[in-house]
Amino acid sequence: MREKPKAPETLISAEAQAFAEAARRGVLVLRECLDCGDVHHYPRAHCPLCASRNLGWREASGQGRVYSFTRMAGRRAVAPAMIDLDEGLRLNSVVLDADVHQLAIDDAVTVRFQPDPQGQLRLAFTTPGAEAARAYSARAFAAVDADREGFAAGSAPAEVTTVAVVGAGNMGIGIATAFLKAGFAVLLLDQNADAFDRARARIAETFDRDVQRGRLGADAAAARMAALETATDMTRLADADLVVEAVWEDMALKQQVFADLDRHARPGVCLCTNTSTLDIDAIAAATGRPDRVVGLHFFNPAHVMKLLEVVRGKATSDQTLALATQVGMRLGKVPVVVGNAHGFVGNRLMIAREQEAGRMLLEGALPAQIDAVLTRFGMPMGTFEMQDMAGGIELSYRARQARGEKSPVIDRLFAAGRLGQKTGKGYYRYEPGKQRPLNDPEATAIIEAASAAEGITRRAISDAEIEDRLILPMINEGAKLLAEGIATRAGDIDVVWQTGFGWPEWKGGPMYHADRLGVAEVHRRLTALAEAHGARFTPAPLLAEKAAQGATFTDSESA
Amino acid sequence: MTIKDQAYVAGIYEHPTRRADGISTAQLHADVALGALADAGLSLADVDGYFCGADAPGLGGFSMAEYLGLTNLRYMDTTETGGSSYLLHVSHAARAIASGQCNVALITMADRPLAANAGPVLAGVDMSLVPEREFASPVPLPPVFGYAQIARRHMHDFGTTPEQLAWVKVAASHHAQHNPHAKLREVLSLQDVMDSPLVADPLRRADCCVVTDGGGALILTRPEIAKSLNRPRVKLAGAGEAMKHNAAGRMQPMHSAGVHSAARAFAEAGVTPADIRYASLYDSFTITVIMQLEDIGFCEKGQGGRFAADGNLISGVGKLPFNTDGGGLCSNHPGNKGGMTKLMEAVRQCRGEAHPAVQVPDHSLVLAHGTGGLMSSQHMAGTVILEAE
Repeated sequence: MREKPKAPETLISAEAQAFAEAARRGVLVLRECLDCGDVHHYPRAHCPLCASRNLGWREASGQGRVYSFTRMAGRRAVAPAMIDLDEGLRLNSVVLDADVHQLAIDDAVTVRFQPDPQGQLRLAFTTPGAEAARAYSARAFAAVDADREGFAAGSAPAEVTTVAVVGAGNMGIGIATAFLKAGFAVLLLDQNADAFDRARARIAETFDRDVQRGRLGADAAAARMAALETATDMTRLADADLVVEAVWEDMALKQQVFADLDRHARPGVCLCTNTSTLDIDAIAAATGRPDRVVGLHFFNPAHVMKLLEVVRGKATSDQTLALATQVGMRLGKVPVVVGNAHGFVGNRLMIAREQEAGRMLLEGALPAQIDAVLTRFGMPMGTFEMQDMAGGIELSYRARQARGEKSPVIDRLFAAGRLGQKTGKGYYRYEPGKQRPLNDPEATAIIEAASAAEGITRRAISDAEIEDRLILPMINEGAKLLAEGIATRAGDIDVVWQTGFGWPEWKGGPMYHADRLGVAEVHRRLTALAEAHGARFTPAPLLAEKAAQGATFTDSESA
Repeated sequence: MTIKDQAYVAGIYEHPTRRADGISTAQLHADVALGALADAGLSLADVDGYFCGADAPGLGGFSMAEYLGLTNLRYMDTTETGGSSYLLHVSHAARAIASGQCNVALITMADRPLAANAGPVLAGVDMSLVPEREFASPVPLPPVFGYAQIARRHMHDFGTTPEQLAWVKVAASHHAQHNPHAKLREVLSLQDVMDSPLVADPLRRADCCVVTDGGGALILTRPEIAKSLNRPRVKLAGAGEAMKHNAAGRMQPMHSAGVHSAARAFAEAGVTPADIRYASLYDSFTITVIMQLEDIGFCEKGQGGRFAADGNLISGVGKLPFNTDGGGLCSNHPGNKGGMTKLMEAVRQCRGEAHPAVQVPDHSLVLAHGTGGLMSSQHMAGTVILEAE
């Protein structure tokens, strides 16, 4: 056997190991000269000021101020910056995972080591505000975890090995993929056997991609595919330890399906619905086991998105919630228990934002301006860019058609064949094979025509107004959800928006953001918006109450 | 030892290409070497001193001496300080000539980052081995991010505005319209520049130099040889160089090393900034120009923005026409190094051979200045003062 050739040894800095060890403890160490007393960064074996080799290490405070900075484009918030350490040293570094669009010269910063692509910790900084938001986020996630443990208290962990997924449409395929990925056996049921070829192909495609990218072994991928079975025969439900329904969003259909599920699933087996809009209680009423019925609201694509809203109906038992949240954990999701109401938690806030974004298009803003406000705010992507990516124009058009509603902009975009990235144009246009949104005068003309048809004289809308009109209604909606008991804690709303909608950890969440602005200030701005634009901005009673009391949404909870 | 009046620029050649598909880096070096020799009226056999930077491929000076066919070499210098390398080469060559170590010095520069799809990097430099790497940023930071921080701090300390930065580009574009080889020949308005997208706030795309392939060469020789050649005589009046780095965390970025390189060059030449009639200023970014205007002494510290906004950089309009070929901002910045092209236009001006639309009437004394590396951390400045004879 031939010996493996030795990799050439590259020693860049002998001091790197000591530096990295301190970094793993979160401590920035400086080299200290024991002769001249000066400190230096980056560490060397001699003092660059007096040439002495009599050196020690000194722990730095890790605190400093911004001497200057710039910003990098991209999904992650990164600001290359020169930092003046409290110890008097000026370093070239970066400020990251913080609100870099609010950064200013002389702002305080604190050390936050970051791994480089090789996994080595490197010096970087963040802001105290971002650190506080992360600490809050950790508490909010811990509260969600505590809930799950509370439901499970006293009951044996559920043994689920085979999951039946009912409905082989897009959501069903995504959900089946998620379960297969987590090592469950999946029985995919559909009345239409023709759907199975497509389903198998799509699932295999996902796993093949993982294999190609080196994230999954070929054997493991084959094992996952072998754990997938398809059937049209509903009596096969008797094999399932858990049932997840993902059929078309239609109450009559869902009730009929649940009656079938109840008939064929073993007694006591949990029946979950993936509905995103329908009443869980009405669905549960079609069964003889409403205590075992729960909503499992996956987000598209179900095998990728971290958020899982576990929707509690009025009859849903704690044991059922325990099972649903445990299964959610096994899927690698963040399961958040929410109440039964249209849109649940995540989408309720999203709808509030989207409606206002759509209105501002008619009033005079353009997609690029609104999206830029959102990305500067810290969202990874603007709302119109996201809709173009997810096919939102078509989804929204069809949903509105079903309800007999009109939307001046979306109807026109749909009629023009602008369905988003997949047709090369939507709110933006796209170069073939590219995902970068480009401004399109044709889309602008459509939006302007929609304004004209609605008799609206377009006006310039300031970025500040756009931000308030996008973000404050979300907070207001959150206050309503809390008052209605749909969300248990403000922190739950924030966890939902971090895990499902890309709200950055370093900004806490919409309710945390309200507290940072000050609830009274949010109330004042909403009141002014209500006067200018209508009652939809009227502050929710809970928000008004907190504003009057000088109270906050998040600070008192999840301690 | 002074180099004042000890060496003359005998020949120059700037490669006309801006994208070298199908032309190797070695060939680019040969193209510019032969071009400069032809301009001077000299031959390869006359060259006994050779100067190149890390863009010279392979074994650098070894490879190029053989490839070019230099058989009479007795002096070589491969100093590499990024874009300022060639200003340093001029100084070093003049000193070698003055001390009798060579008679005809050839300096070549060429690279092809566009054709090689290499990005904003310097050829022959391995950033993965810099000793501070393990303590530096976890994300790679291309040069624009360093200069953007210089710009922001300059704005903070001195009230410089984005519009004042933009005026530098406007001035360069006014000059580039007369250069048929310029990569960007369109005359830009202030609004055109301000409409350009932000690349690294506050720097916009238009605040950045072009990325080009190509290069240039320059020949320096002894006074006796220069006087035997049939070209306008450009003599070296003075040169200076200076280094600045992070100084173990004690960097003061609002002054570049140019403060010292320029002071040395002026002292050697026995002249002052007020005597200079034209300046080739390093223009990797608009802020680079503003900093150098101040550091060289063409205006007070903090007044560079106003100096540019007052139109002073535009030939025929202002006090100190700069980069009349369009500079790196509009014409050429081969291999992400602008030092050689700065020398080219300074020599053209000093000879009176710049484009008539941009030629300064009094070209008795001109200056070329380069900043290699990053003004926000390690950089080396080189200043060269040329005098028409």
